[in-house]
Amino acid sequence: MAQQMKTVAVWFILLLQSITYGERTRDKMYQPIVGAACFRRLNGTHQIGCSSTYSGSVGVLHLVNIEADLDFLLTSPPSPPYAPMIPPHLFTHRNLLRLKEAGPDIISVVLLINRNSDKMTQFSHELNCPNQYSGLLKPNISESATCDASNPPNSWNPWGTGLLHQDFPFPIYYIADVNETQTLVNCFEKFNNFDYESHALRSLCAVEVKSFMSAAVNTEVCMRRTNFINNLGSTKYCDPLEGRSVYATLYPRNSPENLTTEVPRSVNTAEKFILVTTRLDTTSMFDGVGLGALDSLMGFATLTQVAHLLRQLLPPQGSLPDPRRNVLFVAFNGESFDYIGSQRFVYDMENLVFPARSTKSTPISFENIEFMLDIGTLDDITNIKLHTLITTPLAQDFLKKLNNYASSPRYGFNLDIQSDVGIQIPPTSAQSFLRRDTQFPALILNAVPANKYYHSIYDDAVNVGFSYANTSRDYISLIDVSESKNYFNATALQMKVANVSSIVAFALYETLTGLQYTGNKVANPLLADEFLYCFLQSADCRLFKASSYPGSPSGLPLPPMRYISVLGGSQESSGWTYRLFGYLLSQPQPSVAKENCTNLPLHWVAGINGTGECRLTTQSYMDALSPAFLIENYDWRSGKYSTWTESTWSQFSARIFLRPSHVHKITTLTIGIVVLVISFCLIYIINSRSDVLFDDVPASNAAFSRPTAC
Amino acid sequence: MTLPEFFGCTFIAFGPPFALFVFTIANDPVRIIILIAAAFFWLLSLLLSSLLWFAVVPLRDVLVFGVVFSVLFQECFRYIIYRILRSTEQGLHAVAEDSRITDNKHILAYVSGLGFGLVSGMFALVNLLADMTGPGTMGYNGGTEIFFVVSAVQALSIVLLHTFWSVIFFNACDNNKYVQISYVVGSHMLVSLLTLLNAQELYKTTLLINYTITIGTGVLAFRAAGGSARSFKRFITCQ
Repeated sequence: MAQQMKTVAVWFILLLQSITYGERTRDKMYQPIVGAACFRRLNGTHQIGCSSTYSGSVGVLHLVNIEADLDFLLTSPPSPPYAPMIPPHLFTHRNLLRLKEAGPDIISVVLLINRNSDKMTQFSHELNCPNQYSGLLKPNISESATCDASNPPNSWNPWGTGLLHQDFPFPIYYIADVNETQTLVNCFEKFNNFDYESHALRSLCAVEVKSFMSAAVNTEVCMRRTNFINNLGSTKYCDPLEGRSVYATLYPRNSPENLTTEVPRSVNTAEKFILVTTRLDTTSMFDGVGLGALDSLMGFATLTQVAHLLRQLLPPQGSLPDPRRNVLFVAFNGESFDYIGSQRFVYDMENLVFPARSTKSTPISFENIEFMLDIGTLDDITNIKLHTLITTPLAQDFLKKLNNYASSPRYGFNLDIQSDVGIQIPPTSAQSFLRRDTQFPALILNAVPANKYYHSIYDDAVNVGFSYANTSRDYISLIDVSESKNYFNATALQMKVANVSSIVAFALYETLTGLQYTGNKVANPLLADEFLYCFLQSADCRLFKASSYPGSPSGLPLPPMRYISVLGGSQESSGWTYRLFGYLLSQPQPSVAKENCTNLPLHWVAGINGTGECRLTTQSYMDALSPAFLIENYDWRSGKYSTWTESTWSQFSARIFLRPSHVHKITTLTIGIVVLVISFCLIYIINSRSDVLFDDVPASNAAFSRPTAC
Repeated sequence: MTLPEFFGCTFIAFGPPFALFVFTIANDPVRIIILIAAAFFWLLSLLLSSLLWFAVVPLRDVLVFGVVFSVLFQECFRYIIYRILRSTEQGLHAVAEDSRITDNKHILAYVSGLGFGLVSGMFALVNLLADMTGPGTMGYNGGTEIFFVVSAVQALSIVLLHTFWSVIFFNACDNNKYVQISYVVGSHMLVSLLTLLNAQELYKTTLLINYTITIGTGVLAFRAAGGSARSFKRFITCQ
């Protein structure tokens, strides 16, 4: 009857879901686990990442503390399939491949837990040669000419395991929260971690992970299946990786284009641009985790600060020795996946569609580019090199300028930038330009690789040693060289970013003006402090507020996601970058009132005081979608452009529960069948001889049919 | 997946009622109709109980309150279906192909009792069965592994008890045996309240008492339907 009362409750839950409540048996059986799943991506030839089975993969929890625990699971699993809980220091290439080889019958789920993470010495899931199959390639082979994958210590990511580019037959779930990890460990200790011989005979604590991926094989197959004509429905199996790159010019362009004409667009050859670029995005193996602090944020911070510094130092464009010169800053999105942003940029420039017609200015072509300065990874600023393919006077000259400021006692940066000429250039956006034309004047600033957490979930504020100073001082104005040392010690991250930014900005200043920079103002480390806080700790920060419209909703108290994602993804980082460029790289227009400051390029921003100010902005978005998805009948296997797509999925979830043993299941079923058979026999006999049983009733009135033989 | 568990429990709870249905109900359309009608009346009693539970807001968490009134409603509806069946006897007699159904009053009692029991057992178990198909079993957050089997066995006893109760109840109403009527209501109440002990996981105790009552009620029903020790002896010894 208690059950009947429960059913009464259920009855009403159906009727009045909003008012009533009820506890189902299910709630007692399952405990959800919060984490991040590894998902599937596809390129022209392969699929990488993980997927669960359609109904969810189930495995018995097993805590792995040392490698011997894994050996035990792989050699003599008492009750497979298992779900090993692996701490980060054992999440290695070798171990994962062993698990993969064992197959889903033995290992059905892998959990990465945040335990013993102090033992971890490295954790990079990127290849030894990031973007190995794009950029500058060896002749007739689709492999990078700029990096030797067979010699990891000499590669661009010596600690890379390449796990990001492996295809796993089981889901991998990352559990960041220590409490969730503890829940798992407790369940394992309580139900599993004793008497392993009887594992097959008793109920065990198990985990179920649901992360089924609908795409498979490769991008070609998946795009064909997604094509409406083929599948006669609106099912999507995968989406191309797609985001937005952000660009801005130092001076507003003065090269209008007549929109009304139907004639092809033509280039204004008088314009000259110095291209200053960096990477906006990062990636990791797990959905929504990974800040890319060292692998890309340092370069991005530097670019932003260089732009800000140059904007404040330089005189108006008209008073430059060559008044047609300008600087174009670009933050490319999707560079982690075969240079999506820069490939598209090059493609658009070749086809004279950059910038878009809607900007009402003439297209920019390669003729307009004077040279390109690409800011790569800056792992160790004492060891930065200026990479070029061949020795050119331009490179030598620029290096001299850089070192002039880097070693100048006036500023006390005490840095020395080396030159590195040769085919071994770092995997940065410049490769897309050099691939089109090896003569392209590209200079790449890149430090010797020292990041043991390249493209990983642990490349965070701790990895770069960032601690927010939170000084509430003016971070927008330039600062005197003597004052800049007051807030941070010389080894602080903020100082490093500011110093490199100053050096680069001064060198560009000298290139543009033809005069040495002799001022005392340098980049403000407080701006670096605010910038890094926004991107590493919380988007609800001063700098983002200052660059937004006054009173607009503040960002989430989480760092913005910097993975490129797909169309309809969050695109947070490019949105914030757009606003930052609009604030840091724009000219104040104090004479324009708020009501007149509504049409681009005029833009009303909150400013450092939050009171609002009018700015003449230059920034704009640009699609970062690989040209492969624009070209009709593109050969997906050609390797010419990035072909990365992301599989669609319906849900990511994980829960733990007790998995009944086979013995228990079979016993229950057997009892059921026995009861069924006995009752059939018994009732047949009773029914057939009912007149004997109920003999008080006259035979003609017998309740049941006539007897048969006993 | 624990589909074996699902089928095992389904067979335990609904195997015997299914056998009863196949051998004694399925070949007579009138009996099927009466079975369904009885099931419908049980549902009406559930509706009333739930309305009451819903209306009395302060007592929603007090299971005992709901249980007591649910039992009373069920017994009321047992009486209502008794009145209806007795008043439609003439009509039934006219349409029934098999005249035994009106000649032997116990058949109507048995069929309507089984209808009551089937739907009651189904409601008791069906949401548990739905949870049983998942990959897990009971035991992670309290509860024991045998919870599902116990529930199934409990549901079976409810089905059988309802059948017996109806036979006794109809017979008692015909003969004005108020003691037997009060036994039906009393034992129904007792069995229902006993299940409240399951919250303390006293499965053995409740099942034991439950089945003692089931067997006792079965014997009473057997006697009410015209059986006796002598006839039982003859049945056993195959005479």
